[in-house]
Amino acid sequence: MQTEQLNSKSIYYPPGGILMWIIIFLELFTFGMALIAMVINSKDEPEVFHNSRLLLNSTYGAINTVFLLTSGFFMAQSVKYLKLKEVEKSSLFLKLTMLGGLLFLVLKSIEYYGKIQGGLTLSYNTFFSFYWMLTLFHVIHVIVGLVVLAVNFIGLKKKKGETNLEDFEASAAFWHMCDLIWLLLFPIIYLIF
Amino acid sequence: MKKKHTPYPSQEGILSFLKVWIVLIVLTICTALIANSTLLYSSTVLLILILSVVKFLGVSFYFMELRKAHIFWKISVFMYALLFIVLVYVII
Repeated sequence: MQTEQLNSKSIYYPPGGILMWIIIFLELFTFGMALIAMVINSKDEPEVFHNSRLLLNSTYGAINTVFLLTSGFFMAQSVKYLKLKEVEKSSLFLKLTMLGGLLFLVLKSIEYYGKIQGGLTLSYNTFFSFYWMLTLFHVIHVIVGLVVLAVNFIGLKKKKGETNLEDFEASAAFWHMCDLIWLLLFPIIYLIF
Repeated sequence: MKKKHTPYPSQEGILSFLKVWIVLIVLTICTALIANSTLLYSSTVLLILILSVVKFLGVSFYFMELRKAHIFWKISVFMYALLFIVLVYVII
């Protein structure tokens, strides 16, 4: 296993790699612009947005924030232990990271089920169009992130090791990106209208 | 381009993540409490946005280790977060 570290002080080697950071910024700008569009739309229908926001369960949103933050913490620990060449511990924390992601998806599914049962679908009103598009797009990122982490986990488990530190850090950066996006979505969708 | 290498991290760094995680969880609880408070709407929105950006920067600078990166990346993330809350606050 290659655990040699790059000098992240170089502009060309941010932690996770420059290509991953270009992706992160593209994603942040995409979600950011969509959220700004949502806020602009709320000016035309303030009552609709306020009443719709009250139909969301902000406790679910807060618990999901805790799940993702905790998952991010485990991911950071996993990377640190891999740098210390403690593969077993790194693997354990990676498992906990994935557990956090799975719990997020379980709670999101419960939330979605309630909304669909209540008829609060994509076409219900402008607020719920944004709610579904933004949160579903984020959920897709979480699922992709879990697949990426699972591939890394399999790589760590193999004796010869097919995971190198740069790949692992890039995967971790992608996972943290899901966390960052949620930290923007949660206050705007669940709290401020 | 030749790649430069740095020494391995210490166990100390691992403990610092725990402190950051505790701060992030406390900030999340504070955000939930403020959202249910009886403060003025504009103050509530501003506080929620500021706390969210602090959490955003906490994750990017500590968990993603951006604090060790080149200043270009630090400023880019900081400016993004700042621009985002300013735009949301001005529009809303």
